[in-house]
Amino acid sequence: MHKILSIAWKETIIRFSSRTELLFFLILPIAFTFILSDGLAGDPSEGTQSIELLVVNVDDSELAQTLVDGIDATSAVRVALVSAETAADQFADDATAVLTIPTGFGAAVNAGEAVTLDLQKEPDNNDATIVEQTVNAVIGSLNQPLAIAQAGVAFAEQTQPFADTAARDTFFVATLDRAQTLLADAPSRFVVTKPDGSISEEASFDVTAHQSAGQLVTWVFIPLLGVAAVFAFERNHGTLRRLLTTPTTKATQLLGIVSGHVGHAIVQMLLLMVFGAVVLQVDWGKSPLGLVIMMLSFGLAGVALGTMLGTLIKTTSQASSVAILLGMAMALLGGCWFPLEIFPPAAQTVARFLPTTWAMEGFSNLLAVNTGIDGVLVPAAVLLGFAVVFFGVGVWRFRYE
Amino acid sequence: MSEPILTTRNLTRKFGDFVAVNDVSFSVLRGEIFSLLGPNGAGKTTTISMLSCLIAPTSGDAAIDGHSINGNPNGVKNAIGVVPQEIALYDTLTARQNLNFWGHMSGMSGKALKTRIEEVLEQVELTDRADDKVEAYSGGMKRRINIAVGLLHKPKLLFMDEPTVGIDPQSRRRILDMVSDLRDQGMTVLYTTHYMEEAEELSDRVGIIDHGKLIALGTQKELTKLVGQQESLRLHLGEGITGESVQELFANVDGVLQSNALDGEVILSVTEAATALPGAVTVANANNIRIRSVDIQEPNLEAVFLHLTGRALRD
Repeated sequence: MHKILSIAWKETIIRFSSRTELLFFLILPIAFTFILSDGLAGDPSEGTQSIELLVVNVDDSELAQTLVDGIDATSAVRVALVSAETAADQFADDATAVLTIPTGFGAAVNAGEAVTLDLQKEPDNNDATIVEQTVNAVIGSLNQPLAIAQAGVAFAEQTQPFADTAARDTFFVATLDRAQTLLADAPSRFVVTKPDGSISEEASFDVTAHQSAGQLVTWVFIPLLGVAAVFAFERNHGTLRRLLTTPTTKATQLLGIVSGHVGHAIVQMLLLMVFGAVVLQVDWGKSPLGLVIMMLSFGLAGVALGTMLGTLIKTTSQASSVAILLGMAMALLGGCWFPLEIFPPAAQTVARFLPTTWAMEGFSNLLAVNTGIDGVLVPAAVLLGFAVVFFGVGVWRFRYE
Repeated sequence: MSEPILTTRNLTRKFGDFVAVNDVSFSVLRGEIFSLLGPNGAGKTTTISMLSCLIAPTSGDAAIDGHSINGNPNGVKNAIGVVPQEIALYDTLTARQNLNFWGHMSGMSGKALKTRIEEVLEQVELTDRADDKVEAYSGGMKRRINIAVGLLHKPKLLFMDEPTVGIDPQSRRRILDMVSDLRDQGMTVLYTTHYMEEAEELSDRVGIIDHGKLIALGTQKELTKLVGQQESLRLHLGEGITGESVQELFANVDGVLQSNALDGEVILSVTEAATALPGAVTVANANNIRIRSVDIQEPNLEAVFLHLTGRALRD
């Protein structure tokens, strides 16, 4: 046993002998999880100084006022309402940008017609770029409720024509306001309840949880494939050959390398889970036993595939390249980055033959569907099946030189 | 120094149709340094690989400290230490970490291992660099740690496979002194080399191997007797003249028994150097061959190899 631990410890020292390894072990996985799980969501210009935008509003509609209020509500830009002349003077002087809302803006939007807003901005000016992005973002946020309001007006007109234009405008603004309110309060999570009791608890899809699991699988899986480089290194440096002249069996060597790298994977998974739980409020603790089963089976499947690759690949640089390319492709196809449902049927069929798919299924069941240990038994069994096949091929093809 | 620790019987290894080691039988006695001398590709490393249980013999067997390499490889592995030709170390570990790891692989642990690591570090004179990563070592230092790993568990028989290949003369000298010290300490060493001088300096007995066959075996004195009273005349030729082009010219000189070409020189086996040298110089002058220098050598292992194979050791 102490030989296995020695080999595992040696693998640990070698892997972390370079500080850059920490980048791939922890820093990048955390960064990607945080970014992709919408951890940075919010006003894109949050934290910047407020920039003054001169607004010439010559339209007296409520929609024009809504647009102005929307821009002014952002933390990046503050609105200064001015006349066209003042705006021209100040823009000629040192103003960053001028937005002009033309007459008839509200009426044209109500009628579903295209409207052009005029935004003048200083060239090659970062503040002007931020203003432009902010205005676009506010217009973008108005588009969805506008579409809803326009559809509402059209539907109302089909039922009963409006008495006059004023009544139509009033209805439009009320619908727009209602749509904005509802959209602002829209849930980020959909809850589906199945009546047949096959899954008794609530089933949910959570983008943050999906990214936490997906990035975990991605960043743990690639280094596990990198075990191929360990075998290539040992073969090329003669250390494997030397190991075999000691009273240490092949099985011990293999177990040492495997346990070392599975150990690294488990520590990495635990750290990423702690990050997900503490920072992103992902509930990783619903079934600790299920998690242990998934971590072990996923770790073994990954390291077994790495071992098999190690018998096919000759050099460490080849092994590293293959591990990254294959790992990324399998993570993508396995649904680690995007839900598998968005892929074409053929890709979904192929994905059933990938360990990443089953790892995602197991972790997702624990997180999103909350099926407890029952939800991980099949994925874990499939992963262990992969491990047996990959190890079998790896041991069969194992050569010391 | 009478009881054999290693005995091989008709050891043979084939790779397809190629016979790398052909029916080799010899013994190594406890406490001696036994050299296997032969050119590159002679079968030295394949022999060591079989004896250290890395590859199985196609036929034949060997017993090391009473354990058969075919029947009890684990017993063999417990008795041997191996210093391979390549630097089989982990570059990103320190020397001490390497020794600690390899010690565990040899079945050592705890305080005994710790103490032994300090001893071998002292033995290879690297105590002060023990905590440096091996990747920062010079080639010679890496070779010394490579040897230290083989010595760590005090093996009964140490295999050293060309341990001086590719290093500078100073490091080579240091390693040869280290091997001499091992002999003084009573360790049994099976040493392979293609350097005749190393075999001569270190060995109690030498086995000469060529094309997979053991063609001679004995002490240096016994082996040189094989070539009788022959001496060697080594003619270093002028620039632009290859040994091969003039080999035949010198073969007919009076007193020359054999003429062999090397890169830029010709080695003549002669009955008496003083008699043959004037004839050789006359032939050289007659053919406008410039002789830059001449070495006269007493019978040595190189002459033995030449005598037995018709080729120089470095051919």
